[in-house]
Amino acid sequence: MDKTTHFGFKQVDVEKKQGLVKGVFDSVAGKYDLMNDVMSMGTHRLWKNYTISSSNVSEGDHVLDIAGGTGDLAIKFRKKVGESGKVILSDINGSMLNEGRKNLLNHGIIDVDFVQANAESLPFEDNTFDCVSIAFGLRNVTNKDVALQQMYRVLKKGGTLLILEFSKVENEMLKKIYDLYSFNVIPKFGEFFANDEDSYQYLAESIRKHPDQETLKSMALDAGFGFCEYHNLTGGIVALHKAIKT
Amino acid sequence: MFRLAIEKALNHMVNVNDINITRLDNSLVSVYVDDIDLRLFFLCLNSRIFVIENSEQKNTNVDITLNKKAFLALFKGISFEDLIESEDIEINGSIKTAQQLADLLALSSIDIEELISQYTGDIIAHQLGQTLDRIKGSSSQEKDSFVENLKNEFTTLLIAPSRSKFFKKARSR
Repeated sequence: MDKTTHFGFKQVDVEKKQGLVKGVFDSVAGKYDLMNDVMSMGTHRLWKNYTISSSNVSEGDHVLDIAGGTGDLAIKFRKKVGESGKVILSDINGSMLNEGRKNLLNHGIIDVDFVQANAESLPFEDNTFDCVSIAFGLRNVTNKDVALQQMYRVLKKGGTLLILEFSKVENEMLKKIYDLYSFNVIPKFGEFFANDEDSYQYLAESIRKHPDQETLKSMALDAGFGFCEYHNLTGGIVALHKAIKT
Repeated sequence: MFRLAIEKALNHMVNVNDINITRLDNSLVSVYVDDIDLRLFFLCLNSRIFVIENSEQKNTNVDITLNKKAFLALFKGISFEDLIESEDIEINGSIKTAQQLADLLALSSIDIEELISQYTGDIIAHQLGQTLDRIKGSSSQEKDSFVENLKNEFTTLLIAPSRSKFFKKARSR
């Protein structure tokens, strides 16, 4: 059995990846939102709005936001579920959760629960949530198949999994521009704004190692979901996969 | 966006009006609007409605085929019996399930004409794009016959799009 996995373009021991990813996010946590705005020129907000809009979440629903980081999805979900609903923000990384706590407090939200958890072993009962989301987190998970099975397990029947993630750009011209931008400009932004070029080099590399749209769809179906569809955003730079537990 | 708009409107209506749709639970309904090549699957689970484009080869409870006129009429609340009598609709499977879905669509207040015009606008743009690709890729062909073919094809496309080669290609995908 293969005991190594990718960490960006490097091959590392499976058991080391989680620690390496932790190092990246410990390093970027304080500047995470600023860097998202800089790198995507604000577009990440539109991608996230589209995700919320696709969620079918309504008042009273229970939502789990995995790898929720600084909490921007959780804030929007909280508005949708109202006081009768419940939102849990989980992240494997304590530094990111702390940023999320601060951010939600700044928005006056005090009733979102924070849970430090690994997506591969979610500490929740079966059939708990109406919606599970993971935005820009799945590519950092070591065993994605296991994580998808866990997401399936904690969803109720008729529940929706939303995966917002960088994906494969379909247009060749856009792909060239995007490659140039992500391998040459983004790490420099990282150095300038967050004093951390390596973490943003990892970001660019990890995107290229992430499964493409069709592969991720197959993985979701293999995990047990009855239906899975995806929608490309910004030419496939990002894709939103929506999977339904039947 | 087309499917998402319908899905959101249906679920909003069900939630706001507290409509009980448990009778439709676990149903998968296929709706095919043949003259604009639009296929939608309506999946009802746990009192939620999903509008999806692929059935993942699962069995449907009922398959509805109808033309655009009848599809628009469904959202305007036309009686289901009238549609069946007018032979604008073909139903294979549970008529009861089809009727229940039709009742929901009629209640939804969706501006379906606006959505359909966006959808068909996309198709025409796609067809024009394909035509331009053909022009680019056919420089070696004799100019006269190509222009003649193109003219015929455009005429068919504008007058009877369902008979156009482009439309048939899109349908076979």
